[in-house]
Amino acid sequence: MNKMWAVLKREYLQAIRRKMFIIMTFLMPLFMAALFFLPSLLMMRGLGEKKIAVLDGTGSLKQAFSTATQSSARRREMGGTGQMPGQLTIKYIDDRGDTALPVTARPYLERLQAEKEQRLDGVLLIPGEALVNPKAKLTFYSRSATDFVTQERLASMANRGLQRLRLSARGLAPDDIDQLLTSVKVDAVQLSKTGQQKTGGAASFIVGFMLTALLLIPSFVYGLEIMRGIIQEKTDRVVEVLVSSMTPSQLLVGKILGVAAVGLTQIGVWLIMAALAGTFAATTASFAGIDILQFLHPSFFVYFVVFFILAYLTYVCAYAIGGAACNSEKEAQQLIMPITMIMMLPWFLMAAIITNPDSPLAVGFSLAPVFGPLTMFVRTLVGDPPMTHVLTSILVSLATIAALLWVTSKIFRVGILSYGKRPTIPELWRWVKVA
Amino acid sequence: MSEILEVREVVKTFDSVRAVDGVSFTVRRGTITGLLGRNGAGKTTTIRMITGIFMPDSGSIEWRSASASGAAFRDDIGYLPEERGLYKQMKLVEQLLFLAEIKGKKASQVRPAIDRWLERFELTDKRDAKLEELSKGNQQKVQLIATLLHDPELIILDEPQSGLDPVNMVLVRNLLRELRDEGRTILLSTHMMGEAEKMADDIVLIHRGKVVLDGSLEEVRSSFGHNTLHLDYDGDGAFLAELPNVSHATIDNHAAELTLGDNSDPQRILEAAMGRLRIRRFEVGAPSLEEIFIEKVGAETLAAEEAER
Repeated sequence: MNKMWAVLKREYLQAIRRKMFIIMTFLMPLFMAALFFLPSLLMMRGLGEKKIAVLDGTGSLKQAFSTATQSSARRREMGGTGQMPGQLTIKYIDDRGDTALPVTARPYLERLQAEKEQRLDGVLLIPGEALVNPKAKLTFYSRSATDFVTQERLASMANRGLQRLRLSARGLAPDDIDQLLTSVKVDAVQLSKTGQQKTGGAASFIVGFMLTALLLIPSFVYGLEIMRGIIQEKTDRVVEVLVSSMTPSQLLVGKILGVAAVGLTQIGVWLIMAALAGTFAATTASFAGIDILQFLHPSFFVYFVVFFILAYLTYVCAYAIGGAACNSEKEAQQLIMPITMIMMLPWFLMAAIITNPDSPLAVGFSLAPVFGPLTMFVRTLVGDPPMTHVLTSILVSLATIAALLWVTSKIFRVGILSYGKRPTIPELWRWVKVA
Repeated sequence: MSEILEVREVVKTFDSVRAVDGVSFTVRRGTITGLLGRNGAGKTTTIRMITGIFMPDSGSIEWRSASASGAAFRDDIGYLPEERGLYKQMKLVEQLLFLAEIKGKKASQVRPAIDRWLERFELTDKRDAKLEELSKGNQQKVQLIATLLHDPELIILDEPQSGLDPVNMVLVRNLLRELRDEGRTILLSTHMMGEAEKMADDIVLIHRGKVVLDGSLEEVRSSFGHNTLHLDYDGDGAFLAELPNVSHATIDNHAAELTLGDNSDPQRILEAAMGRLRIRRFEVGAPSLEEIFIEKVGAETLAAEEAER
C-alpha cells in the first residue's frame, strides 16, 4: 500500500510539473471557451456600431428606420429577451422622386472607404418604384459581402415599412396593421420525465459536443502520457528496479491512480476556473441567447466527475497495455491505433447520440463496456435516462476497468522485461495466460 | 554460518528455451557468493527469480526458511540489475527518496543516509542535479547508492563491474568487502572469473541453466589439485603447450597456465622454459577459476559453442 502510494506520489508530482499539464490545464478551457464564445462575441462586435446610410427613393419609409422601430424590431427578433447585440446608426435620407439613385448615392458609397468619423459601414438604396413595382430591388452596399446579418435586418426593416405602406394604402388603420404583422416566435422546450423543462435545443447540441470533448481529450492525452511513461521506464531500464521492489499490479495501480489524480486536479482547476468565469460566461451566453446555467445543475457536476473518472481509467488502462507490451512509442502507437479507433466510436457517432439520446444506438452504447462513460454522460446531459441505465452503465464500466487492469498487469509482468520486437495480439493473449 | 537464502530445483522456461534448468544452491549469511557463468548461462534469470521479478515454473526460493513471496522479502534485498537505469529526468535526492520509499522506508528515515552516501561518493554538490546531467560513472554510483540505501540484508549485484573504469572497479571491490565485513550478504553475478576470484568466498558455477560446480572457493580450488603451473615470462611461449606432461595449456601473450599430468615434475617444465624464455614468475598451485570452468564444462563444448555464435 505504501509502495503504491509512493508510485502514485511520484507519478503525480512529476506529471504536474510537466509543461503538458500546465498547457492542458490552463489553455484547454480558454481554447474551448474561445471556440464556444468567440463566434457570438465576434458577431456582437461585428454588429456593434454600424453606421448605415439609407437613401429612400420613395421618401416615405422614414418611420421604418427610426430608433423606436428598430428596438421593437429587435425585441421581436430576440424573442423578447430585451438585450440585443448590435446597434445600427441609421442616417435616413429622403430622396423622394430621385430617378438617378446610384448617382446620388455616389458620395455615400465613397464614404464606405473613408476614415473614422466619415466612414460608413453600409449604404441601402430603396428605389422610388419599390412601393408599386413588385420586381423592384433594394441594393445594399457594404465592404464585405458576408455581412448578411446587417443586410437581413435592413431588408426586414425596409420590407416591413413597405408592407405597412401598402396595407395603409388599402385603407387599413395603423393599429390593425400592427396586429396583422405580428409574428409568433417558436420556443423549443424539452420536457423531461421529472417534469423539468429545458430550452435551447441547438445549444444543447453544441454544449454536448463541447463537454464530451472536455471528457475525452484529457483521457487520450493522459492515456498517451502513461503509455509514454511506461515505455520511458523501460528505455531508462528503471523498470527492473521497480518490479523487484513491488508487484507489477502495485506499480500499475499506483501509476494509473497517480495519473487519475492528475486528471482530477485538472478538472478541479477547470471547475474553479469555470466558477470564476461563470458570471462572465453566463452573461455572455445569455447575450448569445443561450442559457448555459440550465446545463449546470448539481447533477451535471456529479455525472461529469463520475463519467470523467470512468472514461479516464478505461482509456488509460488500454494505453497502459500498449506501454507494457512495446518498447518504443512508435510500436505502441501502432498497436494501440485500432483500439483507439474503437474507443473513439461514440465520438464519431456523437451527432446521432446527441440528437437522439433515447435511440437504441445511444442506449446500447451507453450500457456497453468502453463506450459507456462517454455515451452515458451525453445521455444524462441532453436526455433523461432512467436511473437504472445510469447505474448499470457505471457498474459495467467498473467491471471493464477491473478486467482491463487485470489483463494489463498480466501483460505488464511479461512485457516490461521483454526488450524484443512488438508482440502481436495473439502473442499478447499468450502473455496474459502465461503470467 | 547460517544460510540466508536457499534456491531449490528452480526451473524457468521461456518459449522453448529452458533458461534455468533445476538450479539449486545456498547463500551463507555474511559471505560474498559469486554466481558465475558465461553470458546467457542463466545467471540473470536466476537472479530475477530470487528478486521476485519472475515466478519460477517449478522449484522454490526460500528466504531464511520463510516463503519468498512476501513483501518483506523484497524490502530486505538490494538489487543492482545488469541493465542499469534510473529516472533520467528526476533529481538525485528525489530519486533516491523514491527508491527507498518503494523499499518500505520513510523519507525521514533515509535522508541522513542519503547525505552520507552522497558524501562518500563525492556527489554532494550534485544532489539537485537531474540524473541525465551526470557522467556515466556518477550515474553508476547513484545506482549503487540506490541499491544500498535501504540497508538491505542481502545485496544482489548483477555484473556490477561492467562499464566501470579501473578506479571505480577497485572502489566497488573495496565497498563490497566492507559491506561483507559489516555482516551483510552479497550475491555477485559475473562472467569475469578473475574478478570473482578476488572477492568471492563461495562460488556457484552455472552453465546452460545448470549448476556445474558449487562450494567455497578454497574447497573448489583445492579439489582441483595443486598441479597447475602459472608462468609469467618475456618471449614467445607457444611451445609450452607442446612440452611432455602438459595435459592442458592456456597460453596468453606473456603468461601461461599449464595443467600438468599426474606424477610430472614442475621443475622439468621450468628447465625447458628457461632455455627459451625469460621467466618473471613461476608458481605451482591450484588452477584459476577460469581453468576450473574450462575443465568442468569441457574445452570441446566451449569451442563448439563459440563456433555457434
